[in-house]
Amino acid sequence: MTTTQVANALATGPVVRTQSEGTGPLAVRTAGLTKRFRSGQVAVDGIDLVVPRGSVYGFLGPNGSGKTTTIRMLLGLVRPTSGKAWLLGEPMPEAAGALLPRVGVLVEGPAFQPYLSGRANLARLDASDATADPRTARRRSEEALERVGLTAAAGKPYRQYSLGMKQRLGLAAALLRPRELLVLDEPTNGLDPQGTREVRHLVRELADAGTTVLVSSHLLTEIEQVCSHIGIMGRGRLLLQGERHELTGRGVASVAVTTSPHQVGTAAQVLTSLGLRDVVVDGPGLEAPLGDVAPERVSAALVHAGVDLVGLEVRRPSLEQLFVRLTGEGFDVAR
Amino acid sequence: MTEQTVLPTTPRRSALRSRWTAPVAVAAVVAGAFLAPPLIASAGPADLPDVTPEQLLAAVAEAEPLPMSGTVVYTARLGLPEIPFAEVSGADPIALLGGSSTLRVWTDGTERSRVALLGSTSEYSVVRDGAEAWTYSSAEDAVVHYSLDEADQARYDALATDLRSGNVPELAGELPTPQEAARLALARAEEFSIVSLDAHTTVAGRDAYQVVVTPRTSATLVSRIVVAVDAETSTPLRVQTWSVQDTTTPALEIGFTDITLATPSDAILAFSAPAGASLKEVVVPLPDAPDGAEAHDGSLPDGLTITGSGWETVAQWVGLDVAALVAGDPAALTGLPGAERTIGSESAQELIEEFMPSDGSGHPGAMTLDTTALYDQLTVEVPEGLLLSSTLLNVLVTNDGRVLVGSVPAETLRGMA
Amino acid sequence: MSPADVLDPPAPGSRAPAPVLVPQATVAHRGAWGRLLRSEMRLVFGRRRNIALLSGLAAVPLLLGVVLFVTQDSALGGQGPGFVGRVTGNGLFLVIAALFMCLPFLLPLTIGVASGDAIAGEAQAGTLRYLLAVPVSRTRLLAVKAVAVLTFVGAAVLAIALVALVTGAVLFGLSDITLLSGTTVPLADGLLRVAGVAAYVALSLTGLVAVGLFLSTLTEVPVGAMAATVVVAIVSAVLDTLPQLAVIHPALLTHHWLDVAEFLRVQVDWGVLGQGLAVQGAWVAIFGALAWSRFTTADVTS
Ligand SMILES: Nc1ncnc2c1ncn2[C@@H]1O[C@H](COP(=O)(O)OP(=O)(O)OP(=O)(O)O)[C@@H](O)[C@H]1O
Ligand SMILES: [Mg+2]
Repeated sequence: MTTTQVANALATGPVVRTQSEGTGPLAVRTAGLTKRFRSGQVAVDGIDLVVPRGSVYGFLGPNGSGKTTTIRMLLGLVRPTSGKAWLLGEPMPEAAGALLPRVGVLVEGPAFQPYLSGRANLARLDASDATADPRTARRRSEEALERVGLTAAAGKPYRQYSLGMKQRLGLAAALLRPRELLVLDEPTNGLDPQGTREVRHLVRELADAGTTVLVSSHLLTEIEQVCSHIGIMGRGRLLLQGERHELTGRGVASVAVTTSPHQVGTAAQVLTSLGLRDVVVDGPGLEAPLGDVAPERVSAALVHAGVDLVGLEVRRPSLEQLFVRLTGEGFDVAR
Repeated sequence: MTEQTVLPTTPRRSALRSRWTAPVAVAAVVAGAFLAPPLIASAGPADLPDVTPEQLLAAVAEAEPLPMSGTVVYTARLGLPEIPFAEVSGADPIALLGGSSTLRVWTDGTERSRVALLGSTSEYSVVRDGAEAWTYSSAEDAVVHYSLDEADQARYDALATDLRSGNVPELAGELPTPQEAARLALARAEEFSIVSLDAHTTVAGRDAYQVVVTPRTSATLVSRIVVAVDAETSTPLRVQTWSVQDTTTPALEIGFTDITLATPSDAILAFSAPAGASLKEVVVPLPDAPDGAEAHDGSLPDGLTITGSGWETVAQWVGLDVAALVAGDPAALTGLPGAERTIGSESAQELIEEFMPSDGSGHPGAMTLDTTALYDQLTVEVPEGLLLSSTLLNVLVTNDGRVLVGSVPAETLRGMA
Repeated sequence: MSPADVLDPPAPGSRAPAPVLVPQATVAHRGAWGRLLRSEMRLVFGRRRNIALLSGLAAVPLLLGVVLFVTQDSALGGQGPGFVGRVTGNGLFLVIAALFMCLPFLLPLTIGVASGDAIAGEAQAGTLRYLLAVPVSRTRLLAVKAVAVLTFVGAAVLAIALVALVTGAVLFGLSDITLLSGTTVPLADGLLRVAGVAAYVALSLTGLVAVGLFLSTLTEVPVGAMAATVVVAIVSAVLDTLPQLAVIHPALLTHHWLDVAEFLRVQVDWGVLGQGLAVQGAWVAIFGALAWSRFTTADVTS
């Protein structure tokens, strides 16, 4: 988190209270959040989410890992078995009344009354919001429809919408009012490539304007392009979270060296002497995790030892590789 | 920023408890609201001045009939098989045979009154105005008008002052009221019974004395009759008849559940046959003497004999066509004394027959109560014939066509057969 | 809510801060209740299925009236249960006959449909989670739903009564009305009494509405809630006919429904009617509390 962001968040939150709880600059925080359903299934198991204000937080995990259940608990739809959650520094679900108007949501796909038009559905949600000014209701709906490119189809009954149109209407509902936090569960589900790009655009634009976005998705490439932060769920646990460039950055990068076959042994010694462990030799090539060692030191040491460097590459894992490594490669859902 | 506090998990029990506290509390309040008034009402009555049974009987006999209106509940637990009479036939006096019935009573205390037997969506009304009376059955939309012929009417008018003292002639069979039941029970109570007083009670919110009439003999099915008498007006408010067979609940109970001492409005006591209703005129002879009961005893109709006296009285008819009677043939009733009194089903029966000539096969559709089946259901076979046994009355129909009726054990009747 | 968190200054470096991104005050506006209620009414009365249901109910007196009109001179004329036999004589009785005809099944079915839709329907459509995330407080949503269902049921009773009145007037004419007690009262009095009948019928359905709403909070299948509501009404009516259960009869949901006949007696006993309404009130209180307890604590996982 950058200093400006922290300052920004501190300036906006209800400073005194949130600081005492240590959640001031955070858009979302949970402590030991756990949900055990009546069936006995532990869907979410003691997770501690940390979503800084202004970030775009990619919430990843295989099917059934507990993402939606976590989001439902954040919104007060599902009561946690134990643990606590704060949104924008306020406790949930206690502060829901004043807090949730500042939060736009899309949970497990859009859902609207099928026999009402898109416009009427938005009007209904707007009318349900006690804090929304009734005088500007129409303008809000129209702007939201415009924003997701649905103005032309706004008069059609929701029943007749295509999957993508439904998804867009869901986004329009989430954007009915200016939001400080957007919680989007699979927002690109069912959208065409053009729509996917627009959503990505939208998320970036909102984030640039200061809105925090918590977005869960399976399309890792989508997430990778827009996220500043990543959290990976697996079997109800939060396996990993942090800033994206840190997770996919130095700490987890490895160095691959190619040299002439007779110098492989020397090269391996040089790498080991630098403190790199787990050196794997494969023909003329060697690979080892970099750890804290800077790649420049590796090349300099190799040259110094007289090793012919045919090639040297710093390999960073893609988000997908990271994801698969953490959650296992099997296709079957865990539970 | 990653420091955490481990929060205590909420115990499941307390979550459950808080979740259902509201409904449980509401249920408790509701139960309280519905159960409290009867409990308060059943709290002991205020202290009443002491009286002797004789003083009380005298007070009842002398009490002026008061203008009043009220609701009367009549409950019969005669030990007959359970038949939902009210459901079968709507508001019809036959419903008084079993279960519970509600009646509304209005009287101006002199010679105008209305008694209505309530069905769920029907009503059977008896309206009396001087020497005239009407019955109206809403289920059949039928009126029966009872009146005197011109000569009797003139005689009635002449005797009016005398008659209006309360001895109104028996014009038509009536629906029971607590006053009527009490009059019967107390009429000649001391001749065959011991009269005593029980603890004070409250009936329809009014303080009341309780007179207990206990038969001197043990050869009857009646164990005692308890009459609750209003302490202030000496009006009977409730009559309970207890059978020897059931010591926990009265076999017959009739009493006010609410009562207002005020003259009912004229609209309630007035009656004129509604347009469209079928109307039947019945002219009733005025008895020779005002106290007609004695006159009747002197000249018993043919075929009727009375044995025993008081509580042990047994009436016996010979030559009655019982089968035809239960099949609903009114002709079979002609020999029966007081036939006119069974206005409910009998007059209705005749009405129906006027419109639907009987093909002899049984019952017209409008009368859904199958009396033959009912008869079969109510009676049991004994060596002497068929016995209808209830907690207060036994009826034996012998194989040779005699009918014995008495408030005596079945064995007594069978011994006499 | 402190004024501090009302405004969120745009993050530095944002290219084109969209105007809509200025957070607004999260203060409840006045008339928010009314706004939500109006929106709910539009939803209920704007739904074609519901309008069809109302029309179907309104067709009952029309059909009944026409059938009685056509057959009035035949052998079957003037026959029928309840007040049907009296309709040909006085069109006013068509209102009562039609209400009695709809009371045992059709009106409970209407309640089932409306209350099944109210919560279970929203849960099944998934719209419940979005309403709650707007946010609408669960208590307020339940209250608004209850008012909407009651209004719909009231509209159903009114539709039956009005169509019956017009049909009866056109086919048979309105005249002074003969009460169950045999007394005839003027037409104006009769109209008042019939209005009383309709009002009492509508009020005696409130207990079943509360039961229906509670059942609706238990499931995500509106048809299930609807069927269960109808079953409750029917079971109650059946229990009411068992003499062995006479002790509990006065507390049964349907026991006092027919007390409406009180309006057709020469002296209306308001105590009897009040008792019937008190029993409905008890059912409303208990099942309203149950529905509230359940709905405000249940997990919304649909
Ligand atoms: N109402 C429920 N009762 C019992 N178990 C449930 C319920 N809802 C979800 N679960 C279980 O909880 C686990 C997590 O479900 P959840 O919907 O949160 O997963 P998810 O990460 O959103 O999956 P997906 O990516 O497929 O949307 C799953 O194993 C699921 O079966
Ligand atoms: Mg999900």
